Amino acid sequence: MEIEIVDYKGANVVVLSGDIDMYSSPILRKQLMLLIDKKVPLLLIDFKAVSYIDSSGIATFVEGLKGMMSYGGRLKLLGIPEGIMEIFNFSKLDRVFEIYGNIDDAFNN
Amino acid sequence: MKDSAVIIIPSHPRYLSVVRAVTVRMGELCGMADAELEDVKLAVDEACSNVIKYAYGGNTDKRIVVRFKITQKGFEVVIEDSGLKADIDSLKGRSLSDVRPGGLGIHLIRRAFDVVDFDDKKKRGNRLRLIRYMKEKNGD
Repeated sequence: MEIEIVDYKGANVVVLSGDIDMYSSPILRKQLMLLIDKKVPLLLIDFKAVSYIDSSGIATFVEGLKGMMSYGGRLKLLGIPEGIMEIFNFSKLDRVFEIYGNIDDAFNN
Repeated sequence: MKDSAVIIIPSHPRYLSVVRAVTVRMGELCGMADAELEDVKLAVDEACSNVIKYAYGGNTDKRIVVRFKITQKGFEVVIEDSGLKADIDSLKGRSLSDVRPGGLGIHLIRRAFDVVDFDDKKKRGNRLRLIRYMKEKNGD
């Protein structure tokens, strides 16, 4: 997995690629928590290049969401590939996360 | 020769990608469709992750044996470790409506496999048996 953090109109975008599994999710968690500890108001997670996610990856985002909600921040997921979206649907987390097709929709809503 | 394969990996999360790759290849040989392959890959990964987390308590220098077998009935995966005995209650998982980190893995395993059970006969460690029955295809 690779993690790149870029700026989009003043918001932090975490651009992910590759596999998010038990090996890589602790690295992702550390990066997310660094941003959440700073109480960033908006965090966008770009999933377009993510090829795989397991339950440890999902748990990382649930933890991140709860962390951001604690201070009124918003965590938005975007560009989730179909196979990965199916796991969010199965786990009913599509009802919990804010999920958008692209970065403009995620930023503007 | 039977249609089977065995891999032995260290109990380190970096080897999960190896398990996934072999699972997919064996699933392809079994004739699974792409969506089935994704489900089975995720389930076997989750089962091995559970071994690392719970049976070995995060110890990364133990070993995990994963056996794959293709039979007329379907696809069988047996995962063995020599760690702490699994808590049978762990096979239940949390309610999917209870949104919190963790507890999702067993649901993903059960979604992919028709049989999910621990072999009681194994004295030390765990032997988890997973079977996915092949679905009848129209026209076959």
